[in-house]
Amino acid sequence: MSVSSLASFEYLERLPGTTFKRLYQQPSTALAIFRRMLPHLAKTFVMALLYMSKPLPLTDLDLWVQPNSKRQRDEALSLLSRLHIVTITAPSKEMPQVVSLTKTFGPALRLALTGGGDYQSFGVPSSDASTANVSLNYLDEYARTQWEGILHYVVSNVGDGMRQTTQGPTAAVKQLLEAGKLVARGRHSGGGITQAGFSFLLQEANAQVWTLLLLWIENAEQMGMDSVEVLSFLFLLGSLELGRGYSIATLTSSQKKMLTHLVDFGLVFIPSSESNQFFPTRLATTLTSDASALRSVAAGFDAALSSAAGAKGFIIIETNYRLYAYTSSPLQIAVLALFTKLTSRYPNMVSGRVTRDSIYGAIAHGITSDQVISYLSTHAHPQLIKASASHGGGPVLPPTVVDQIRLWQIENERMKATPGFLFKEFENQKDYQSCVTYAGEIGVLVWKNETKGLFFVSKMEQLRDFIKSRKIK
Amino acid sequence: MPKAVRGVLVQCDPSIKSIILKIDSEEHAFVVEDLDDQTLVIKENMLSILKMRLDAALKENIKTPTDDEESD
Repeated sequence: MSVSSLASFEYLERLPGTTFKRLYQQPSTALAIFRRMLPHLAKTFVMALLYMSKPLPLTDLDLWVQPNSKRQRDEALSLLSRLHIVTITAPSKEMPQVVSLTKTFGPALRLALTGGGDYQSFGVPSSDASTANVSLNYLDEYARTQWEGILHYVVSNVGDGMRQTTQGPTAAVKQLLEAGKLVARGRHSGGGITQAGFSFLLQEANAQVWTLLLLWIENAEQMGMDSVEVLSFLFLLGSLELGRGYSIATLTSSQKKMLTHLVDFGLVFIPSSESNQFFPTRLATTLTSDASALRSVAAGFDAALSSAAGAKGFIIIETNYRLYAYTSSPLQIAVLALFTKLTSRYPNMVSGRVTRDSIYGAIAHGITSDQVISYLSTHAHPQLIKASASHGGGPVLPPTVVDQIRLWQIENERMKATPGFLFKEFENQKDYQSCVTYAGEIGVLVWKNETKGLFFVSKMEQLRDFIKSRKIK
Repeated sequence: MPKAVRGVLVQCDPSIKSIILKIDSEEHAFVVEDLDDQTLVIKENMLSILKMRLDAALKENIKTPTDDEESD
């Protein structure tokens, strides 16, 4: 699964059950979560349960799964129950455990798939043809300028002496970036970029959009908006069609308010202030697409981004750590400056060197060596790619450099920290064993020591239920 | 009934762990549970402070080679 869906996903998992109940009232939300968030096995379960009138005994469900895939089955089920898609009854002596779709999710997904009801959950296409001649290219261009404006604002705080030439995002967006601690406001020069801001910059476009949107949702309440409404509106946007006008009149007043923010982000385009239509851009329509579809669309968008800013690949890195980048885009130069010691700048190129200190600097800002390497290889100059192809398809980057960057990170990373919970003081070895096995199966086990009867997990809710259920038996 | 303790699991080399223990021995503000010679659990809110103190301690004790100046 891509990074972006992981971010949105972790946010969703933290929501309380009542929020989910309200979210699933919109069929578009149920569909978006179904197609975007779930692994294939979980989808299979949901589809099988969708038209089942009675709850299914868990033992029957087990029959569908190969015995050696028990781990995947447990992970899928635990995910489904975390997202409040299925309910599983608590185990007891009299009744076997049964599983069923929740009363909110099931009907919503059925509606989404087969239609019916008057929810206007997937937007109402505007029939007004007067302004309908908005081309896809124009929308992409519009989204690109809006989004680059935001990125420039984040970056312009890094590059010394690099003043902003574009007009930058609106005050609301700036406020949001500050609230999310992507930039910090200083006393004089307008502040600086933060750790979170650095990693934000290195993400792919779609992940960046989600990061910003999640910030927006988290701050929605202060801006007088309901986070549930914001979320379901975003899921609605994700189901719209690119290049088609949608009617504003059918939106609720709070949704109209959100539209102005989304225009700032470049997710939505409104031709003129008195227009009664809005056009979702590619940034919006790819929000909830399936991971693989997303990658290709995001790649298309990236291509659009780079075709305007220069050739797709522009970085040459040599085995002696020298780096030459054929670019004049301040955004790309600023990103490079995060992990390279840049020495000279020419009209169409910058040159510098990847050093131990420059990588240390990047790591101190929360950028990982893998991020650096993937940035370098995705933006590698065609000549590097050609050279590797002529050597029989070897690695694009010089292996010495890649290894050294990794080594520098390992050298610097002296401890690995994982937040979570330590379980201790088990009554007997059997209790301990079964808990450890269960924790391993649901994929939360981080560390264990069998002789001392201790283990460490990253999440505890399910394990707590498990321990409680064992107590009953 | 088993007990659950909230914290941050830290996995590191024994040498680093001994430095952490040394930092902790001053005021016992960090470590929740000492698990084995490569693992311990510390308080969640103290992680960033511990990282800072650890970096400072390492800087004092370990000499890092500087980059050779490049000649252009």
